[in-house]
Amino acid sequence: MLRRAFRRLASSLVVLWGVVTLAFVINFALPGDPARIVAGPQARPADVARIRQKLGLDRPLLEQYGRYLQRLIHPGPRSPDRRDEVHGSCGALGPLHVDLGVSYQQHRPVLELLLSRLPASLLLAAAAMLVQLAVGLVTGTAAAVRRGTLADKGVVALTLLGVSAPTFLLGLGLQYLFAYRLRWLPFDGYGQSSGERLLSVVLPALTLGLFGAAYYTRLVRDEVLGQLGQDYARTALAKGASRLRVLVVHVLRNTLLPLVTVVGLDFGTLLGGAIVTEKLFRWPGLGQLSVDAVVERDGPVILGTVLVASTAVLAANLLVDLSYALLDPRSRGRGG
Amino acid sequence: MKSGLGLVGVLVLFATLGPWVAGQDPNLSDFVRGVDGQGLPVGPGAAHWLGTDGLFRDELARLAHGARLSLAIALLSTVLSTVIGGVVGVVSGYLAGGRWGWVDGLLMRLVDVMLSFPYLLLVMAVGAALEQTGPGTVLLVLGLTSWLGTARLIRSKTMVLREQGYVEAARALGQRTLPLLLRHIVPGVVGPLVVVSTIGMASMILAESVLSYLQVGVQPPTATWGRMLYEGQHGMTLQPRLVLAPGVAILLSVLGFNLLGEGLRDALDPRQAR
Repeated sequence: MLRRAFRRLASSLVVLWGVVTLAFVINFALPGDPARIVAGPQARPADVARIRQKLGLDRPLLEQYGRYLQRLIHPGPRSPDRRDEVHGSCGALGPLHVDLGVSYQQHRPVLELLLSRLPASLLLAAAAMLVQLAVGLVTGTAAAVRRGTLADKGVVALTLLGVSAPTFLLGLGLQYLFAYRLRWLPFDGYGQSSGERLLSVVLPALTLGLFGAAYYTRLVRDEVLGQLGQDYARTALAKGASRLRVLVVHVLRNTLLPLVTVVGLDFGTLLGGAIVTEKLFRWPGLGQLSVDAVVERDGPVILGTVLVASTAVLAANLLVDLSYALLDPRSRGRGG
Repeated sequence: MKSGLGLVGVLVLFATLGPWVAGQDPNLSDFVRGVDGQGLPVGPGAAHWLGTDGLFRDELARLAHGARLSLAIALLSTVLSTVIGGVVGVVSGYLAGGRWGWVDGLLMRLVDVMLSFPYLLLVMAVGAALEQTGPGTVLLVLGLTSWLGTARLIRSKTMVLREQGYVEAARALGQRTLPLLLRHIVPGVVGPLVVVSTIGMASMILAESVLSYLQVGVQPPTATWGRMLYEGQHGMTLQPRLVLAPGVAILLSVLGFNLLGEGLRDALDPRQAR
């Protein structure tokens, strides 16, 4: 178990390194001169050259790449000072520093920017996951139990419609209905107080979550149908257990495993990938930050958001893989 | 499956004949018959069957020309991603575990890296790196970034196929690798490839509209469905039809390809039918 965890962790780190490398190359290939962007459109050539040298952008690509990796995790003083030349943009984890550089556009440490956006993204991801799990489990189970009826067929048709609708279409529809027509919920934005925030998260969470819910409904339905056909379910019924008991105690427990897999993976993706929804609802999360960074050619921020999003996906992968061993005793023996 | 085929058929018909039926220039503003008494775009009527958009251009003409472009981009990028995914999958699956296993390892790590890269960011960044975004760039970007799932699926199919008796027999009889792959492995993966690429069409239409919506797709004034949606959303509260028209078009075509893909899957693999 421990060996397996260690091996998976090592391979995740290799993939993460690949992601950083790929992001670095893409970043380099982006058109536009970063030094000119930092200096501003009015700057004199001499100033641009000075900034280019200060940022190390005049060095060969390989050297810049090496420096980025070196700065990414390095030792330093326990509490870095913002005015410090060397460790000004670092975040400290004990004696280890994480440094993602300084944003070209906002002139703030990238780490600080990412951390300031993280709560909004976490809130949205959690709320969306809640929607898709709740809706998916209830409708999926209900459809499976009533297999072949009109209700079941209706649910299946609706889910197909759900996975076919572009996120922004669903979002616009929700905005039109609940914010413009009924005026129940805020149109967009993040809200000032935590009360406003809870109201503001509803529409984006529904937008993201209903799309996922369609997928979960199909998954749960297929899984419950498969389990209901198994011998153990029939035996339990024959022994006189009520249908409800068979469903909840036996069947739903067994559908948990495949569900945990997708939930884990989706949460990772939701965290970094809610780009369209965040843009539509002006939600100040990581997705917005990343889109703005690409549009504004803000290299360090692009690299930072890619790093966070990929880490989230990889960490979710890792956790899912390890949770198998806990949830499914059969998989414990293999591979040690 | 039938309804999927029907929807796709209607879509193809609309894309081929639509621009001709609408008969108007999709980029021409009509300030005479396209404006109503309050200076707003007119609703559906005789001069403009679906009304005009925010710039008083014929909505139906834009929808039809958009269909042509969206469909062409989706088709070509799907072909590209299917070819790349198929080749990578077959090669990787055939070599896995053997003397050339490192090639498989390398390819699969590349897939891992690209899969954990945020997809839209990857697409946007590649698009930005290629600078000017015409339809060609968009389809290239979509094709180059969406073969990952296909490669994984085909790899696992190939690994099953290469252990089959007839493949081993062909190898024992001394057939060279390339003819062996072409004659004995490739026919076995065509079925899943067709299914994946049909459903791929659906996700390409979605992806293209998302790119246009994020303003990194085909540049204005060229009409694509995503672009029309983006332009329509600002006046959504006054004229919901400008969001509804392209939205429904996207929804129906994605639905059509999804239905068709699922129908094909059930037809090709009856055991999995639900």
